[in-house]
Amino acid sequence: MRFKRLDQARPFVTLAVIVVAWLLVPVGVKAILRVSFFELTAPVTLAASRVRDLQEFWSLRLHSKDDLIAAGRDLARLNASYELGVQRNTELQAEIARLETLLRLPSFTNYRYEHARVARRDFSGWWQRIVIRKGRNYGIPVGAPVVFTGGVVGRVTEVHAATAVVELISSPNVRLAGVVEGDTRPISFQGGVNPTFAPPTGVVEFVPLDIVASPAAPKRLVTSGFGGVFPPGLMIGTITRASMGGDGLFQSGEVKLDERLGSLAEVTVLVPL
Amino acid sequence: MRRPLVLLAPLLLLWALVAVLNDALSELRVYVFAGGLFVAYAALHQPPRAGLAAVMLAGLICDANAPITFGTHLLLFAAGHVTLFHLRERLPREDNIAAVVVVLFTNLTLFLVFSFTQIHASPAPAAVWPRLLSDLLWSQIFLTLVTPWFFALQAGALALARLPREDTV
Repeated sequence: MRFKRLDQARPFVTLAVIVVAWLLVPVGVKAILRVSFFELTAPVTLAASRVRDLQEFWSLRLHSKDDLIAAGRDLARLNASYELGVQRNTELQAEIARLETLLRLPSFTNYRYEHARVARRDFSGWWQRIVIRKGRNYGIPVGAPVVFTGGVVGRVTEVHAATAVVELISSPNVRLAGVVEGDTRPISFQGGVNPTFAPPTGVVEFVPLDIVASPAAPKRLVTSGFGGVFPPGLMIGTITRASMGGDGLFQSGEVKLDERLGSLAEVTVLVPL
Repeated sequence: MRRPLVLLAPLLLLWALVAVLNDALSELRVYVFAGGLFVAYAALHQPPRAGLAAVMLAGLICDANAPITFGTHLLLFAAGHVTLFHLRERLPREDNIAAVVVVLFTNLTLFLVFSFTQIHASPAPAAVWPRLLSDLLWSQIFLTLVTPWFFALQAGALALARLPREDTV
C-alpha cells in the first residue's frame, strides 16, 4: 500500500526536482537559453511576416491602372505639401541652432530614422508588444524610442540578430513622462487596460489640479522630453478623464491611445546619433 | 531522444499558428492562449519522460517570446503535465470529446494561474479581469475547434517518425 502511494507520488516528486533544479540554474545560463530559443523561433516569425507581405503585394496587383494613376496623383499632391514642410523645417532647425549657440543651450539629441516592418503583434491582456524586422543588423539599440504617424509606439526592449522587440505604450510595463500640450508640468503615464473591441488605454498620475479633462473636452498628452529617451512633443494620447487622486494634491485619469496601435504594419525607430 | 523532438515539432507549429492568429486578432484586442493544448496530448498518451521533455521545451519557446520571468511557462506546463499524467488512467483517453474537455479544463487552470502571476504589473488589476475573461472565452472556443485536429497531427507525426503512437512503456 505504502509503495503504491509512493509510486503515485513519483510524478510530483519529479516536478519538485524540476522546480528546484530550475531555480538553481544560473541567471547567465537562463539568459543564453532565452536568446537561443528566441532566435530559434525568429525565422518562423519572419517567414510568416514575409508571406503576409507577399499576400498584400498580390492583392495590390489586382488594382486597376486607373486606381494606380489616381493614387499617384494624390501622392504627388501630398509630396508637394511635404516639400513645403521640409523647407520650413530646415529654416526652423537653423533658427534653433542659432539660438542654441547664442544662449549656450545644450542641443537636442539627434536621431537617425530607421523604418521597420512589423513582423508580429502580440496584444494580450497581460502585455502588448510587437516584433520588428530589424535588429542588431541595423544598429537598433535597446531603449530606442519607436514612433509612427499617430505618435509614440513604445520602446525597444530586446534586440536580436535580425529582429527587435518593442514594448507598446499601452503595455502596463511602460511608464514615461508626458505633459499636456501647452503646459510644462510633467505627468506620469503608464499603459493600462486594453478592453476587447475597444481602443487601448493608459493611466496618468500627478496631473495638476487646474487641468480639466473630460470626454467632451479631452486634453492632448505629449512626450515631455525629460529623461532623454523620447524627443519632446510626440503624441501619446488624449486624456479623457481626470479626477482627484487619493492624496488630494494631484489628479489621476485615463488616457485614450491611438486605435491603430493594434494594427501597426510599419514603424520608425529613432536611433540616437 | 527522438520521441521528444518528434513531439516538439507539432508544438512548434502550434506556437507559430497561435502567434499568427494573435497577430491577426490584435486589431480587435483579442488574444488566444493555448497552454492546455501544449500539455494535453503528451500527458495523456505519451511516456512520462519524453512527454515532459517535449512539453518543457515548448514552455521554453513560449517563455522566450514573452516578457515574463524566463521559466514561467516551463514550470506551468510541467505542473500541468504531471497533474494530467497522474490522472490519465481515470480518464477516457480515446474519446475525442473527453480529450477536448481535458484540454479545456487544463487551459482554464493554466490561464488563471498565469493571469495571477502577471496581473500585478497592471495599474488597475481588477479592471483587467473582464478583458482576461473575454480572452479566455475566445481561447476555449479556439481549442474546442482545433483539439481533435491537433491530437491527430501529433499522432500523425509519431507515425511518420515510425514511433509507437501510444505509451506502451
